[in-house]
Amino acid sequence: MKASRARLFKEYKEVQREKTADPDIQLVCDDSNIFKWTALIKGPSETPYEGGVFQLAFAVPEQYPLQPPQVRFLTKIFHPNVHFKTGEICLDILKNAWSPAWTLQSVCRAIIALMAHPEPDSPLNCDSGNLLRSGDMRGFQSMARMYTRLAAMPKKG
Amino acid sequence: MESDSISHTSSPSASNCKDISRKKRRSAKLKQCKLDARREQWLSQIGAVKNKVCCKEGTNDGDSKQTQRGERDRSLENFEMRGTAEVNGEGENVSVQHESDSESFPPNSHTSSSLLGGMDSGTSFTNSSSSSTSSGGCCSGSITEEEGGDGCLDDWEAVADALAADDDKQELDPNENNKENLCLGSTPGLEPNPQLGSNGEGSDLKNSEPECPRMVQRATRSCRAWRADDTFRPQTLPNLSKQRSFPATDRRFGQGGVSWMRSSAFSVPSSCPICYEDLDFTDSSFLPCLCGFRLCLFCHKRILEEDGRCPGCRKPYENDPVEAEASVQGGSLTTRLLARSCSMIARS
Repeated sequence: MKASRARLFKEYKEVQREKTADPDIQLVCDDSNIFKWTALIKGPSETPYEGGVFQLAFAVPEQYPLQPPQVRFLTKIFHPNVHFKTGEICLDILKNAWSPAWTLQSVCRAIIALMAHPEPDSPLNCDSGNLLRSGDMRGFQSMARMYTRLAAMPKKG
Repeated sequence: MESDSISHTSSPSASNCKDISRKKRRSAKLKQCKLDARREQWLSQIGAVKNKVCCKEGTNDGDSKQTQRGERDRSLENFEMRGTAEVNGEGENVSVQHESDSESFPPNSHTSSSLLGGMDSGTSFTNSSSSSTSSGGCCSGSITEEEGGDGCLDDWEAVADALAADDDKQELDPNENNKENLCLGSTPGLEPNPQLGSNGEGSDLKNSEPECPRMVQRATRSCRAWRADDTFRPQTLPNLSKQRSFPATDRRFGQGGVSWMRSSAFSVPSSCPICYEDLDFTDSSFLPCLCGFRLCLFCHKRILEEDGRCPGCRKPYENDPVEAEASVQGGSLTTRLLARSCSMIARS
């Protein structure tokens, strides 16, 4: 508990210090609870998520960093490894491949990488996974782009 | 003293025009060689100087002119050092005045003490003047106040020189200066003025006490060896702990590591990548995994208690942590053994 708090506090300071280092990631700590974080990540370019801004919610366990943080999308996203309803993310580093050397910042980077490189073989969103597995890249991209436009982009007009 | 006080009383009683007239009169007397000779004389008589220390210090309290005087002191010092006759006029006049004071009297600090008497209060001045059969009336009160200030100037300078001269002697004993001043304060010059003595003593104690510890500090600092965490430590001195940990870094180059961790693993991190606490020497010489991922012993123990995998390569820690260095000290050796036993427990 104490160690996780100290570590999160140091991470917070690190984030404050290197705010401009990664312009695609905005990591914000909850005002009253250092175990609750939110992040805004930009959809990677040359993907259907380009131009969208996706919000992530971090719930950090007390055993952090020995236990991984629980991360989910607050913004709707059409992605084979993200649950469409709950926003749950299927990512190995958030499960069994977690390492205490990872930080919240690096988790954000990993999620951006996951958006650019979906893993259709272990889908949480079966529709999305099936489109990709069947090779319907066009179908997947148009669906993903539509949801990006609907949920992750500022409303026009 | 007599001629001194007489000359002052003979000068116009109004203090402002008196100043001007003094300037004129004394600037004529200025001769640098003479000054230097006088200074030598003064310096040769440490006792007199010491007495003046307390006199000078005694006048510190509650005198609004003190700051002005301090400035003047500096200018005086400069003036004496350079040996040129022209510094700012006031400082010159002041010093000349004092040389003339000491000229007219055997340099036994009588002038300064009596002047101080005038400085401290009107009553004390009358005491000292009566004992020295001076005709300085009550009108000379303002004059003597001026004189007291000037006396401070000269004293201050002489004291500074004297202190610099026997600095090393006094550095050793912080109370030496004090004691000297104390006994001198009780026997000032010719007349044992109780008020002066007590004044000088008390304020001298106050003033010299912060001074002496400073000197002692300086002395101890100068003879002490540099410590690694000393802020005054020169940057050029090699850092021993860093030097000792260099071989470990070199050693790790041949062993490869996880690609994403490599950048941070090659240079010994200053803080543990898990808890972000600073690595001490034991931690930085602790290499628990072949991949070269370093972490503090505390985090290593916690990881062994949980899943026991290296955060760098995600392989389970081996029972035997890699021997980081052959030349580790005894302390880190035991901790390494401890870590090893922990890993044994975790394995079994």
